[in-house]
Amino acid sequence: MADSFHRHSTASPQDADAVSSHDGAGPFHVNITNATPQTNLPLRQAFRQPICAPEPKIHDITEKFLKASNALEVGQLVKDDYFTLFESIGAIEILDPKMDSGFLKPGETLEDDYDTSRSLLPEEIIGIMDQLLCYEMAWHTGYPLSQTLFTSVYIDKLLWPEPKTLEQSQFFPNGESAHGPSAQSLLQVLRAYCLALIKGCDYVILKITSRDYFEEEDFCTQTYNRVLFVSTPMDVFLRELDAAVEVMEDTNFEIKDALRSAIISRLKFRQDFLRALDLDHPLEHMSSSWSPVLSGITTIKATHQLGQSVPGAFSTKMQRRLASTVPPRPIVEFDFKDALDLLEHICVDCEEATRFIDLPQDPLEYQSFLWTFASRLPAPLVYSRSYLSTLMFHPEILNTAVSLPLADVKTLVFPASLVLDPINWTLPPPRNPLLPKPPRLQLAMLIDEFVDRSGQPYLDLWVALSQNRCRLRRMLSHVITAWDLLQADASLVDTDLASAASELSITDQILEFSLSTWVYHKKLWMIEKVILLGFEQDIYLPDEFSGMHLFLSLIVTRRRELLTRIQTHHRTRHTQLLRERKLRLANEVAEAAPYLDSLAAEATGTAALSLALARFYMIAAYCGLLPVPKRPFSTESLRYELRMKPFLAVQPPEVPPFEDFKAHTQPYGPYTSPDPGFAADLRNERSELWAEVDGNVKAAKDAFTELKRLGAGAAKSQGVEKAWGKEVQNLLASCVALGVASAGVKDAVRKAGDAGDPKGLDIRAEIPDSGAKKRYAEGWIVVKIVKEA
Amino acid sequence: MDNEQATFWLSQFIGKNLRIHASDGRVFGGQMKCTDKDCNIILSLAYEYRAPSLEAIRKPIEESGNSSAKVTWNSRYVGLVVVPGKHVKKIEFEESTLPGQKSGITL
Repeated sequence: MADSFHRHSTASPQDADAVSSHDGAGPFHVNITNATPQTNLPLRQAFRQPICAPEPKIHDITEKFLKASNALEVGQLVKDDYFTLFESIGAIEILDPKMDSGFLKPGETLEDDYDTSRSLLPEEIIGIMDQLLCYEMAWHTGYPLSQTLFTSVYIDKLLWPEPKTLEQSQFFPNGESAHGPSAQSLLQVLRAYCLALIKGCDYVILKITSRDYFEEEDFCTQTYNRVLFVSTPMDVFLRELDAAVEVMEDTNFEIKDALRSAIISRLKFRQDFLRALDLDHPLEHMSSSWSPVLSGITTIKATHQLGQSVPGAFSTKMQRRLASTVPPRPIVEFDFKDALDLLEHICVDCEEATRFIDLPQDPLEYQSFLWTFASRLPAPLVYSRSYLSTLMFHPEILNTAVSLPLADVKTLVFPASLVLDPINWTLPPPRNPLLPKPPRLQLAMLIDEFVDRSGQPYLDLWVALSQNRCRLRRMLSHVITAWDLLQADASLVDTDLASAASELSITDQILEFSLSTWVYHKKLWMIEKVILLGFEQDIYLPDEFSGMHLFLSLIVTRRRELLTRIQTHHRTRHTQLLRERKLRLANEVAEAAPYLDSLAAEATGTAALSLALARFYMIAAYCGLLPVPKRPFSTESLRYELRMKPFLAVQPPEVPPFEDFKAHTQPYGPYTSPDPGFAADLRNERSELWAEVDGNVKAAKDAFTELKRLGAGAAKSQGVEKAWGKEVQNLLASCVALGVASAGVKDAVRKAGDAGDPKGLDIRAEIPDSGAKKRYAEGWIVVKIVKEA
Repeated sequence: MDNEQATFWLSQFIGKNLRIHASDGRVFGGQMKCTDKDCNIILSLAYEYRAPSLEAIRKPIEESGNSSAKVTWNSRYVGLVVVPGKHVKKIEFEESTLPGQKSGITL
């Protein structure tokens, strides 16, 4: 038993002979067990024995164990006290073909019989490279490596057994193929491509894990105990690729020119892609790193048909060799065209993200950029999002003199205010700590306190903005709660600010409750976004449209009121400064006006459009134009509570009580049986019912036109001017579409005449699907009224 | 062996390293967490060990000419596994004690 703990097993010559005498199809699996001396079991491959530790003794306890377990009662468990039923569910059942990735069917072998040293045709090289690209992209969409790249026999050879140097990472021992030098050089080309691909994956994992992401939801970073050349620097891989390009360019190497250039372009693409993925890429070169990749894609697309697939080069059997606690799963099939589209999508998004570097240094510009980036269609993949957030939190970018929340506060409530005068921070505190501090110093300290306090909620908002759309909606509702707490704290600071200001007798120069106003404004903005995202993601059912739009308009109206208060204050302050001949300060206040005007125009438009939609959908519901699902187990008030849940804890704004809500959304009684007043108002085109729709559509249109006139600069969206312009245009288009829809309903009512039943109109409402480019703006659902044929 | 004795005897191995030989020749080494009447055994932090294929054994022997050439077993981490009693062919207890230390386990 002494040497029973070696890592190697010794096969006796007899066994080996016995093996060779068996010819082919014999019961191999039986022999395998026979060929193994049973005592020489190596456990723990990575086991390193401490010098003095004794070798463990091995006792065969089979017989007694079986006897003892047999003596147990049915259902009795002998178990670790801390081992729970829940934990046991995660266990993999050995020898269950569906669970156990190591299970071999009779006659099946563990090793794949694919020979990685066999010579490949140039066409096959192209085929394998393109297939690898497909799997790489499948991985980017969230599939694990075990079902994608790690099914490649070639990749497996390069990564296992774990190479200590890059030279050890070969397809065949010593890097020498048994099939002659020409086979060897093509395989070296493929090797260089695979190595660069693996290093690229390493960069992708590092980039994604460095930012907020959700394992297995967004992306699988699991590498199954394989090390993706983490410590080898990038230039080594670039050199390998260079050498491969040289091999291909050698004119002595006989190969069709088309194939030659196809392979070279793939190698060059890998170089460009690897450079773009590099984590240490200098900021100033980042924006130019994606265009070479994009142009490489075109060549790959054009030459793909030259390739020839090699099905044997990929196998699910590879999963048996991976350290894996999950059952075996099939290889992901991914179309080459889709893969290229996805790759292009990543490149374009990342290139767009690099524009973040050149944005004006203003948190509001950053915020617009993040919002617009998250709104891109198709939605950016996790890599592109991590790419942007890495840029966002890059020390060179966030290294501003003023803290970001403070810059934001200043723009909204403190333009040219004494509160933020830099001199306040230079005043020395009194020598005697018992004496009161000078009021201006107090101002500075209060602001510092607030900036400290608001840092985390502000950051949370940004983190939420760099998630995918669905999670953005969910995370925002948590961020809102955090901002609600912040608002409570802000109002305390506001009181202190006010008392310091009264000592200086500048109370009239400061907006009352300025800090809490700022927090409240931001909070309301977030609530609006949550509701709009709900519409965008089809959270609300058609018969809820009216109510949710009404709630939205309520929220936006609150924000509009805040803005009016701020605007009035700034205007008085401006006149006052002009009167005092403080022209520089007056000018600063005036400069803040366009942003506030832009916010106000946007809020006015949003409030009007949502109110118009609320009224329109109410009419549509009364006319039976909207589908109502059967809900045998829910009540209206419970549904209302559910919808309002994210905002119930928040105050202000308080969620209106259900009775109020019902009275406003169903003024004519239940949708199924409206009182006669509805039919009368419906027929009367001058009734208040219609006036609320058409009047608000007009008001919204005017407000959005004003918003457009003020421009992207005023809206602090200069960095995303084009997308911003499009968004405003879409809002206008939604207004027009609503006008058309309301005209359609009116028309049908007119045709039905005075005796017509409001529920029997000759029209139906088509609800545009989300994400199918059928809506003008994704967050604004405007139905299309179609005549019944 | 009555039930009480059996329960006591078996519970000694909880958290101890066992090697379980499955019916297909693979060996699973890990800490025992749980067992029952049918001798289903749950191992945590388990590794799977598989004898090298005949091909893999033959090759180094042919190449080196040495009939006792060393061949590596394949191993990989598999985490929490349950080996069904009907597939348990052999159970080994891996006892690691320091010299002079007495193991508290009655075999």
